[in-house]
Amino acid sequence: MFNFQKLLYIHRYAIRDIRRSYQKLWVIALTLFISLLLLSLTFSVKQSLNDEIQANSKELLGGDIRIDSGIYPLSEAQLTQLSSVGQVSETVSFFTMLSKPAGGAVFTDLRIVDQVYPLYGKVQTTPTGAWAKLKIQGEKPLVFINENIKSQLQLSAGDELKIMSRVFIVGGVIKAMPELNNSIAFGEFAIINKQAFKQFDLTSTSSFLDFEYLLKIPQSSDYLQKLDTVQNLFANDESISTKLPNDSTENLGSLIDNFFNFLNLVSVSAIIIAGIGISNTLLSFINQRNTSIAIKKSLGFSSSTIQLIYFYEILIILLVTSILAYLLGVFSPPFVSQLLPASLGLSLQPSFSLLSYANVAFIGLLVVLIFSIPSLYSIPSIKAVSLFRNIFQPVSLHFSAKNIVYLLALVALLVAYFVLQTQQQFLTLSYFLAFFASMLVFYGVAKCLIIALRHLRSLPNNAYKIASRNITSKKSLAPIITISLGIGLTLLLTLSFVSDNLKKEIADSIPAMAPDIFFVGVNKAEKEPLEAFLTSLDNEAVTEFNPMVSASFVALNSIPIETLVSKDNRSRWVIQGDRRISWSEFAPEDNPIVQGQWWENDSSEKMWVSLDQKNAKDLGINIGDEITLSILGREVNGIVKNFREVDYRTIGTNFAIMINSAFAEKLPYEYIGTLKSDLSSDEVQSLVVAKFPTISAIKIERILSKVSQMMNKIFLAVSGISLIVIVIGMIVIVSAVMVQTSQRKYNNLIYKILGVDFSTIVKATTLEFALIYFALISFSVAAASLASYFIIERIFIIGLSWSFDIGLTLALTVSTGLITFFLILLANRSMFSPAVYPLIRNE
Amino acid sequence: MNELAIQFSDVRLSYGSEGSPVEVLKGVSFCLNSDEIISIVGPSGSGKTSIIMLAAGLEKATSGTIKINNQDITELSENALSAIRRKNIGIVFQSFYLIPNLSAVENVLLSLEADQKFNGEEEAIKLLTEFGLGHRLHHLPSELSGGEQQRVAIARALINKPSVILADEPTGNLDEATSENMTQLLFEYTRAQQTALVLVTHDIELASECDRTIELKDGNIV
Repeated sequence: MFNFQKLLYIHRYAIRDIRRSYQKLWVIALTLFISLLLLSLTFSVKQSLNDEIQANSKELLGGDIRIDSGIYPLSEAQLTQLSSVGQVSETVSFFTMLSKPAGGAVFTDLRIVDQVYPLYGKVQTTPTGAWAKLKIQGEKPLVFINENIKSQLQLSAGDELKIMSRVFIVGGVIKAMPELNNSIAFGEFAIINKQAFKQFDLTSTSSFLDFEYLLKIPQSSDYLQKLDTVQNLFANDESISTKLPNDSTENLGSLIDNFFNFLNLVSVSAIIIAGIGISNTLLSFINQRNTSIAIKKSLGFSSSTIQLIYFYEILIILLVTSILAYLLGVFSPPFVSQLLPASLGLSLQPSFSLLSYANVAFIGLLVVLIFSIPSLYSIPSIKAVSLFRNIFQPVSLHFSAKNIVYLLALVALLVAYFVLQTQQQFLTLSYFLAFFASMLVFYGVAKCLIIALRHLRSLPNNAYKIASRNITSKKSLAPIITISLGIGLTLLLTLSFVSDNLKKEIADSIPAMAPDIFFVGVNKAEKEPLEAFLTSLDNEAVTEFNPMVSASFVALNSIPIETLVSKDNRSRWVIQGDRRISWSEFAPEDNPIVQGQWWENDSSEKMWVSLDQKNAKDLGINIGDEITLSILGREVNGIVKNFREVDYRTIGTNFAIMINSAFAEKLPYEYIGTLKSDLSSDEVQSLVVAKFPTISAIKIERILSKVSQMMNKIFLAVSGISLIVIVIGMIVIVSAVMVQTSQRKYNNLIYKILGVDFSTIVKATTLEFALIYFALISFSVAAASLASYFIIERIFIIGLSWSFDIGLTLALTVSTGLITFFLILLANRSMFSPAVYPLIRNE
Repeated sequence: MNELAIQFSDVRLSYGSEGSPVEVLKGVSFCLNSDEIISIVGPSGSGKTSIIMLAAGLEKATSGTIKINNQDITELSENALSAIRRKNIGIVFQSFYLIPNLSAVENVLLSLEADQKFNGEEEAIKLLTEFGLGHRLHHLPSELSGGEQQRVAIARALINKPSVILADEPTGNLDEATSENMTQLLFEYTRAQQTALVLVTHDIELASECDRTIELKDGNIV
């Protein structure tokens, strides 16, 4: 029966105990606080991002509905129908070169907008208000550029720029736009108006234009009906897609979910490692109170009352730390907002919700329960009879069948709580399994070291003997060091190995294989003059030109491909949107055929298809299957004839899909070309853009540098989080060391009395840590190498090659080891000079 | 007629494995009236402390029956034994065993709080003041002398007005003068409260001051 008086007493006693014993409980409070803060940060920033996206969904889409008609504009009749529903804004996008008359060019995503753009939100520029000038037709048309173009070409408002031989004046620099667009935030992006675009006189099919229509529907009672009308208008036209604000935020939301799911998992790893500290500290706390517990029992307190008091103390610590951590987390989004590119236009605000707090506190509670049960259940084994005998045996973690059932149920609840909240359930479950398996493995590493030292022949050296005895003793620090530090260190090593391998590929391997420049938008008439021009610049230059056309994957054996391929299929990119496909009379030399036959001397009018072997395997395509492609708006069926092994690392003209020349020659097409030369890429780019203004010349170096910058940022964030896991591990180790200090002091005093000198004790401590740490890093480095090898060689679809960096490994392991050892020495400093008197007096 | 506070009937206690058990008590039987003070004497290892542990329900007898206030406690669960201790038994140890991070008054209150009595502060202060510790109420055990600590321990045992006080060599860690003072205090209060007292001691002089003495040798009453 509920007894309020008893609860009040437990509350009073727990508060009093915390007040008087806070020095012994700081580890529980600190590790809980750091790990809950990490969890709160990820929850709060995710919540704030989702709120911001939801609140601005129309601005992010650009309208109430967005219609993408691909390379063809909508017909007049369709536009009239749209205008009857709401206000329409037409935008056209394509990639082209922007060049400075004095030299220098960039490959840019160019957007053409009309007078009514933007329908929602505002375009912010410097100088402020310059955007209004875009709509005025002056002598020279205006172009608005983003920060990246400004910094690369050293431009400011009023400077001249050339786009396909036409001169433009820089009207201003775009600071933020309502629409969310990768190019605006991370790439090169510029805007001109419709009148200026007409001067280019481009035909859609040869220029890979992308037509988009944004529609603003006034809020009224028939708003939803109007949205339906628009969607129905294009429902039967597969070349036209429509998007609602929620569709756009759903994709973004899914991306955010995936990233934050990873952060949540790392945070929960941190909190579980903190749990080890909680368990250890609580057990030592109970052992230090062994006599007090026995006295209480002699006075008639039951074990369950004593357990409740200690558990209540932990709950109070959890409550205080979770509130503090959550409040700090709540106020973090505005700071995170400062780290995001301003051009994204996202302004994250603190977002407080009791539900979010409950989420953080619930996870904390589960972890606290899991790790305090084995410690608290040691209390019944403390007997009051020991008071008569003056013999106090330290208790250890208690794992009875009942406890194990409780623990398994709680762990299952924790795992299910995370798994059910994410879309990537299998990955999340795998992470947890791997995490718990790692804990067991690291425990095994410590046990192996202990067994090995027990069986090794003892060396005639006192420092070794003391170290070995400490490691093999019942209270060995080895398991707690390997488990607490092992997971964080392995995570950091794995991420660093992956990052290092990717950087090496980008800095060395890929540039060595890849061409220097890509040429895009080369029409049939320009191909030969461009080749001749390049040869005239450098007759040693290697050039390659391939025809290409835009196509999209529609069906496999007459079944819509969308229904056959899951969202997490790693080759899904092949079937999403328009892809550039190519053809060739002969099999490409650097794409060996691995299955089937090439179609040499083919004169068939039927379409034959060649696919990248990896993509075909992922998508479940076999030789002889029928594939339906939409090429320039027309659906064509073709038979799969062969699979190729494509090495995307060359960044040459590699195509996932190729078709037969006999069929393709009838299509309108362009060329894509590459150049590898000793000449400076900047120089070639400027010369080509000046002579061939409609051709885009893209420097590979620029693409790689962008990828590298992006990767650095991601790996910095992720490594930062794994560092926090290491820091928590270090705190747990320090706490474990501190609870053993009095025992170590006593041992060292005995050694001192027996004549062992100070340097031997220091050497023994160093050797003890070195042996444990060496066992730990041997396993960590091996596990991280295997994991990073798997990620680099198997997961990255472009087929990178893995290598081991001894320098990086030493830097990470030695620095982590030195910091941990320094902290251990700091925590243990009093044991090196044990005072004889109080120890002899048993004080 | 006086009620029986403690009743031991053919109580045996042995430790160790079945093959080679160590017999600590070999069939001990005795009774203690509710207002009686008895001492248990005997050499080390004779089983004196074991009798206290059994009477307090902190140890289970191998065989025989133990009754406290006529209630058989030999088959009771841990929780039921805790309840018996809370309501009927006060224990005084040789080494005082105060909780180090609680003040004198808080240590005394602990007995009441264990029995769900949460408003006993005045009572505890009164008792400690009677014991001459009015100026030490809020001192921690480490700030008290040995004699003062033992007085707090006796107050803790008496505060709940138990029917039996079990004292295991309560003066063993004290000097002669303090010992005498302590014994007088214990006798005075147990007699005043009509509480039964079991005093385990090596001190023959002290034992002679009790109503009755039980002498143990090799686990038997002699």
